Amino acid sequence: MEILANFAQGLSIVLQPENLMYCFIGVFLGTFIGVLPGIGSLAAIAMILPLSFYLDPTSALVMIAGVYYGAEYGGSIASILMNIPGTPAASITCIDGYPLAKKGRAGVALFSTAIASFGGGMIGMLVMAVLAPSLAQLALSFGPPDYFAVILLGLVAASAVSNGGALKGITMVVLGLMLGSIGIDLTTGDQRFTMGIPELRDGIHIVIVAMGLFGVSELIASIRDNKKGSATQSIDYNDFYPSKSEWKSLFSPILRGGAIGSFFGALPGTGQTIAAAIAYAVEKRISPQKKKFGTGVLPAVAVPEAANNSATQTAFIPTLTLGVPGSPPMALVIGALMIHGITPGPRLLTEAPDMFWGLIASFLIGNIMLLILNIPLIGIWVRLLQIPYKYMYPTIIVLICMGVYSLNNNVFDIWLTLIIGAIGYVMRLYKFEPAPLLIGFVLGPLMEEHLRRSMLLSRGDAMVFFERPISATLIAITVGILAFTAYKSISNYRRFKTSSSQLTK
Amino acid sequence: MINNQKVLLGAGLAALALTFAPVSIAAPGSWSSEPVRIVVTFPPGGTSDLVARLLAKHLDSDYGQKAVVDNRPGAAGTVAADYVSRQSADGTTLLLANNAPFTISPTRFKSIPYEPIEDFTHVAYIGASAPGLFVQPTLGINTVEEYIAYAKSKELAYGSSGVGSISHILGEAVDAKLGIQSIHVPYKGSSPAIQDFRAGVLDMFYDMVVQNKDMIADKEAIAIAIASPERNPQTPNVPTFREQGYDVVIENWVGLSAPAGMDAKTTETINDTVLAIFSSDEVKERLIELGITHSAMTSAEYTQFVADSISTWAPLIKSAGIVEK
Amino acid sequence: MSLQNEKIDAVECSNTVSDPSVWFGATGGIILFIVSIIFIVGGIGLGLGSPFRLGTGAFPFITGMILGALSLAICFYELRGDGLASTPDWIGFCAICSALAVFALTAEKLGLVPAAFLTVFVASLPDRSLSLVGKIILGSCVGAVCWILFIELLNLPFKPFVGL
Repeated sequence: MEILANFAQGLSIVLQPENLMYCFIGVFLGTFIGVLPGIGSLAAIAMILPLSFYLDPTSALVMIAGVYYGAEYGGSIASILMNIPGTPAASITCIDGYPLAKKGRAGVALFSTAIASFGGGMIGMLVMAVLAPSLAQLALSFGPPDYFAVILLGLVAASAVSNGGALKGITMVVLGLMLGSIGIDLTTGDQRFTMGIPELRDGIHIVIVAMGLFGVSELIASIRDNKKGSATQSIDYNDFYPSKSEWKSLFSPILRGGAIGSFFGALPGTGQTIAAAIAYAVEKRISPQKKKFGTGVLPAVAVPEAANNSATQTAFIPTLTLGVPGSPPMALVIGALMIHGITPGPRLLTEAPDMFWGLIASFLIGNIMLLILNIPLIGIWVRLLQIPYKYMYPTIIVLICMGVYSLNNNVFDIWLTLIIGAIGYVMRLYKFEPAPLLIGFVLGPLMEEHLRRSMLLSRGDAMVFFERPISATLIAITVGILAFTAYKSISNYRRFKTSSSQLTK
Repeated sequence: MINNQKVLLGAGLAALALTFAPVSIAAPGSWSSEPVRIVVTFPPGGTSDLVARLLAKHLDSDYGQKAVVDNRPGAAGTVAADYVSRQSADGTTLLLANNAPFTISPTRFKSIPYEPIEDFTHVAYIGASAPGLFVQPTLGINTVEEYIAYAKSKELAYGSSGVGSISHILGEAVDAKLGIQSIHVPYKGSSPAIQDFRAGVLDMFYDMVVQNKDMIADKEAIAIAIASPERNPQTPNVPTFREQGYDVVIENWVGLSAPAGMDAKTTETINDTVLAIFSSDEVKERLIELGITHSAMTSAEYTQFVADSISTWAPLIKSAGIVEK
Repeated sequence: MSLQNEKIDAVECSNTVSDPSVWFGATGGIILFIVSIIFIVGGIGLGLGSPFRLGTGAFPFITGMILGALSLAICFYELRGDGLASTPDWIGFCAICSALAVFALTAEKLGLVPAAFLTVFVASLPDRSLSLVGKIILGSCVGAVCWILFIELLNLPFKPFVGL
């Protein structure tokens, strides 16, 4: 009951008119900035940061959080309409979202993501309210070997995301791992495959990989398709409500996605990407529509969105209670609080309970605002598809350039996007899918970091992975999945081939 | 402020913006009608970024000098330094840099695209913060002497915020000075290292002392020594290495630089304005919270300081074994 | 290195497109195999280290070995069928890549507005349904919108025009 009292206290803080207004500004700006391809939550928060200096810390935090989940939601709009994910987690949304848009069901897809996002957000909020201290404890009980094991599981899940079959999926994950190893080696400080280019020392930025593999290659591929006129499908622009049976099919995926998301969100560093990938992979195994995954089904769009958004909320747990930012946007949140003289850490819950509970209550209010704001907008977003492609694609190219340039304010990044986009196009010709590569790229460096740290700390004893209960369990699960997949793909080789060639058509 | 106003106007909230509109006084501190870009060597969110944003905010609100923060992270600050060295020296582009691009990178990297002294006008020194050594309370170590005794019986592992970071260089310098050996475990920044320390994975870590004063107060970590010349007033109970008989002084400083060839008048105006801002009570308090000790230097003194730092740091970097092959 | 190689191979593949034989799918596996060799050799060159202190090259080496095995498996499967997903559109490919290159070359030297204009112009070159005037108007509009959106509203550190 203490939680309810705390929550009521938080609600009374958020419902103050000025906090309501900042919350609205946050989700509003977040959504609109998030829609722009390549400009994700990080850039959105960085833009709003100077304003937050003039607010009291709670208002600032409420607004920044609003920008964060607003932008994460906005990112899914570009994923569905244009196949351009603003964040790595949104690349999972692309897999089924874009086919839905191509089928003329963009409105329904956007509506489902709005609902899923809301559902996921609410689950994340509940988890944060009830379990924040214990989830913080969980993050502390995760040592380097456990992180290694959970990332390994995430990578295996990522390869299942591929429609081209497990073999191509795993290949893309491995290629992503290799791409991620470019740059300065964290453990030794030596350069790897940088060819002496200083800009490559810190590795390739995730947004560059996402924009190249998805955005640029998609544009190249669709120029000719649209010349043929295949893009002018008949779309009912006002029909974005799912049918009754579709509503029903969304319910449990949202619950599962939200639960998976809130667990992984609490682990700093892995967060939304693993959450979305694992949620999608789980759903792909158990959904009644699992055979159609990848061709554009609603649960497949709802699941990663729910996971992503609940992970976005629970990511505040390690940030606030441990002072460990799991992602660059979270580092900005810590920076914003520090400028107000608040140091996030174990003391925050007791020293600034109003702020903590105010934030949790703002998740409720902000997500409701997001829903009210976005449902009327769906009609407008969908109409974007009506704009003839000959006007759209040159504009999108400029937007991609802007998004990429604004990462480091460096034109080198645009050249890199060009190269990766060209590779992405060739990959597309060979029916290799970009989503597993992107996930491998994100998780690879983390996996290597934790692997090498584990080995350093265990003084070179690999048994450390099997002695710790968490890592041993996770590795056992991973090995089980791998063995099962290998067995299936070999025994069902013929069936797999016919079904995969049908799926990609 | 202009930034905020426009964002708000864009959101159709002009009324709100008016309540935040700055009191623009044509103060003597302004030196350019153009907005000044303060280039930061880190992504948004870190201490350097906070200092730059604090400076930008007060340049505008106190002196009517518009300023925006431009984050250009990469390659240990050398990307930003290279960029600034190629801009025009009219006072509209400034670099907020720490040791990394000026004193560490010239020794550490095989080649850097600029000369740390010749290619810059070093305008103003802002301040320095000192790292220290933290150990697990369960080890029962409280002094450097006890630490040496313990470390000789068992090889310990320490966390740092990365290869070539100040905490790493300090770790190696302490090992060398104390005649012990420990295992270096690098992290991406200090907070994940502290997380692993809290989780009991690490025996010890090196990090900025003042920023971790809560951990010291809560007895979650014992700060054995700080690498500043004097004790920090924020952490009066943490002794220095020097007073325990080991002369280890390594500080992370920040300062403001401009491209080479800026005229003396602009340099002086900027120096005066920046020093006035950083010695005002409000800003000073923020700096202290961030663990930065401010002291005033003229442009010439700061230039000399940078030059001296390069030579004092070179042997530390070489002995830490992080020089690029 | 790997990036460049793959690009060169990609261009070479364009010659074989007219004959989308079963061999084509296998070339994908061969390219990946070459990439894996680069990482294996590069990894050894960077140093594999010991289990205690894994070297800089250990991870590239391991991933290279795995990719090598996978690429051979892909060759094996692809030889049994599967061609291109679609015939490549090298005109669109060149237009988009040149558009990006134009932006990279002009953004800092000419300013955002001319860069956006030229990028749009180059990108829309292969589209014959849009007249020359249409391309110029579209370019100007996108340039103006970028100015308002990115410089005025979002305050990105860009100059609308340089040297004017």
